Amino acid sequence: MRETSVSSRDRLRTALEHREPDRIPLDFGSTAVTGVHVSCVAALRRYYGLSPGPVKVHEPYQMLGLVEDDLRAAMGLDVTGVFPRKTMFGSSATDWKEWNFRGLDVLVPTDFRIKTEPNGDILIYPEGDETAAPSGRMPMGSAFFDTIVRQPPVDDEKLDPADNLEEFSPISAEDLDHIERSVRAVAASGYGVAASFGGTAFGDIALVPAPFLKNPKGIRDVTEWYISTRTRRGYIHSIFERQCQIGIENLARIHARIGDAVDCVFLCGTDFGTQTSSFCSVATFRELWFPYYKRVNDWVHANTAWKCFKHSCGSVERFFESFIEAGFDIINPVQCSAAGMEPGDLKRKYGSRLVFWGGGVDTQKTLPFGTPGEVREEVLRRCEIFAPGGGFVFNSIHNLQAGTPVENIVAMLDAVHQFNGVSHV
Amino acid sequence: MSELEKLHEAVIEGDWKAAAAATEAAIAAGVAPLLIVTGCLVPAMDEVGRRFECEEYFVPEMLLSARAMKASMAIVRPLLVATGAQPIGRVVIGTVKGDLHDIGKNLVASMLEGGGFEVIDLGADVAPERFIEAAASKNANLVALSALLTVTMTSMKTTIDAFQTAGLRDKVKIMVGGAPVTQQYADSIGADGYGESAGAAVALARKLVAA
Repeated sequence: MRETSVSSRDRLRTALEHREPDRIPLDFGSTAVTGVHVSCVAALRRYYGLSPGPVKVHEPYQMLGLVEDDLRAAMGLDVTGVFPRKTMFGSSATDWKEWNFRGLDVLVPTDFRIKTEPNGDILIYPEGDETAAPSGRMPMGSAFFDTIVRQPPVDDEKLDPADNLEEFSPISAEDLDHIERSVRAVAASGYGVAASFGGTAFGDIALVPAPFLKNPKGIRDVTEWYISTRTRRGYIHSIFERQCQIGIENLARIHARIGDAVDCVFLCGTDFGTQTSSFCSVATFRELWFPYYKRVNDWVHANTAWKCFKHSCGSVERFFESFIEAGFDIINPVQCSAAGMEPGDLKRKYGSRLVFWGGGVDTQKTLPFGTPGEVREEVLRRCEIFAPGGGFVFNSIHNLQAGTPVENIVAMLDAVHQFNGVSHV
Repeated sequence: MSELEKLHEAVIEGDWKAAAAATEAAIAAGVAPLLIVTGCLVPAMDEVGRRFECEEYFVPEMLLSARAMKASMAIVRPLLVATGAQPIGRVVIGTVKGDLHDIGKNLVASMLEGGGFEVIDLGADVAPERFIEAAASKNANLVALSALLTVTMTSMKTTIDAFQTAGLRDKVKIMVGGAPVTQQYADSIGADGYGESAGAAVALARKLVAA
């Protein structure tokens, strides 16, 4: 057993600077890509004997539950999050109401407006407006929403990049106030802070259909977007160029309000990998995405102390040199189960230049379907590989998914704490 | 360059307008509809699959080639039906109950269609009874199940069990695929095969219908 006086924030900062901290810092719940499904949050609260009050669903799209301070302490976590004012469905996540989510009492944003269909499917409305067409559906048997694509007919003669830019605009005073309030609320907590401001993802396929808009225009269909990255490069460049300008201006306004009170910024969740391959070649990445990422990251590094956090699922090792050159400091979720993502190789080749925020345990097989013993074994092995020299923040490979046994989540946490030399936090 | 060569190139390059024009021209020149499929679309989509497997092509290129192939098939299919030509197999395909993800499923469906199969695509969030009804009514010999989520992957087992209960399990081969699915999982739920990628799915389907 080894206790230290190092704060969680210092621990995180040390790891982000590629120095070995007293313990591996842990994150669950600081972003929408390192989060915890609301059913798992509820189960963990019961497991740790915390007040069972309804859990807040702070991100309804993936049904992510808010990890409050008492649970963060019980789980021994080191990072907290600053979230955008609005959810993926465009409603404010500031006021709450009760909702029974298929047997589980939860709290959802007041503007969370839904309709349950006769077959049990749940439809959700953008901006809480029930007069608009629904923008998300949770089928019976699922535990997450998926976007309903609302694609107007594509006429290449009339395509205007401005139609795909509706969601990118100068940040509002209301949003700035929200960010400042949120940062102040966590600044004195002693936790490391990961912030999500939005606006700099560039073609994140979850955002392209714009479930937060009532009447999205431009190219909003997933297939049409992927095709456009090949056939309409000029159109995509026009969108990214303007988005990049607006994004940097917004980051400047945010930084003017909060300074360096956050440790890292989740800038981009665009997925470039599939389970076995990638969505494009490295050459395409460098032509179409790289220049914009580099401009955003260069601005961040020139003007702030923030670290730049990049999320991409799948087999993406081929992009790591480009990610590094573009200025990303942190890669998540480090999907070691995908092709070419062998943890030892990743650590050896990139460990001194990229922080691995994830990769701690597989969430497609081991964590949901393995035994606690198998979870423990995998977690310890990953810690042995990723921890030396710092540059590692423990997180599972993507969010803790619905249906994951709480015993396995606890086995995962206990294994990290054992590796860290602490019997309890 | 013959019309079939133009069609072959149009599919590989993902140019649906050129593919449709070449198909019309080939038919006007008297090329048999079955030859357009077996002598051109199938080898073209095989080449697309090969390029995908060796990472010359990625998802956007696959989607474009699939669109070109479909533009051609839309012209050829009614003529094939009129001649009574039979596909090499009939596949009922869908993403299983609870799962709305369909990009991977759509790619596999396109590759199967381009590979000479008749494809009955039920879409996403497909209940077991819909798979069963379609397989029975269309006299399918193959069922292809897709899932992206760990929470919906279990619907694959439910669907296979439903075929058993309905007394139809011996009438069809069932193949599964999707990001979280493995050969081990496929074996554990009694599937007949697992395809790791769209290209592998076509090879698997050919093997299963030949067995």
